[in-house]
Amino acid sequence: MIEAYKPLLAGVLAAFMILASYLVVRSRDLVYASGALAVLGTLNAAFIALLGYGLVAAFLVIVYVGAAVMFIIVAVSMLGGGGLERWQPEKGFLSSAAVLTVLLIVMLSSAMYTLYKPPTTIRLDSVAGTLAGGYLPVLGLIFIALAATLIEAISIARKR
Amino acid sequence: MSVEAAVGEVALTAAAVMAAVGVYGLTASQNLVRQLLSIEVLFNAVLIMVILLFSFNPVSATVFAITLIAVVSGEVIVVVAIIASLYRRTRSLESLVLEEEGV
Repeated sequence: MIEAYKPLLAGVLAAFMILASYLVVRSRDLVYASGALAVLGTLNAAFIALLGYGLVAAFLVIVYVGAAVMFIIVAVSMLGGGGLERWQPEKGFLSSAAVLTVLLIVMLSSAMYTLYKPPTTIRLDSVAGTLAGGYLPVLGLIFIALAATLIEAISIARKR
Repeated sequence: MSVEAAVGEVALTAAAVMAAVGVYGLTASQNLVRQLLSIEVLFNAVLIMVILLFSFNPVSATVFAITLIAVVSGEVIVVVAIIASLYRRTRSLESLVLEEEGV
């Protein structure tokens, strides 16, 4: 029953994600733009959960939205807007139209959407086992990235 | 068209449009914070593409996506720290002003 409504739900979520990304780029106030990024991250997590990857969605909400984007919002609130913002819309339109055209042609002409297969179940222990087994350097990289996050936050707080 | 293919098509189209919006913000604005936010929009688009294209092996897709999120979170904090440091020195976040001041 729910399966039949999946494309509709995906379409609604996709529309809101595109709206949120537009607000991130075009909001006049950078604090509102950062808030829109938090909304975009949450919608993205919902979309990823709809695709069947609940673990990734939870990690995205906890680490990305809960830590990184909140850090951006706090930092931007403290910095202010940084003065008048200059725009070069022609350059932006040209580059974004080029990117959109290339991506749509490559993705839709080669039928990349048929590659998507919803996962049956992703067990946490199999992901942890994969990370601790064959992907041990990757696990180290994750720890270094998260440690860098903490160290940078402390150094900003101490004004160094 | 099957339900999976329809969902995949919606996801890829949304990711492509979001990537285009991110590229627009990155190239049209000269404010460092706006450019960082645009890069984050691009990241959100790339995350969807990565999950879709790696979905033939769900465990690998999960591991790759988690790594991507952790690395991007670290990168965001480092860039925000650099921007805060630059703002304390120059009182501006415009890339042209920073270039003129030789930063």
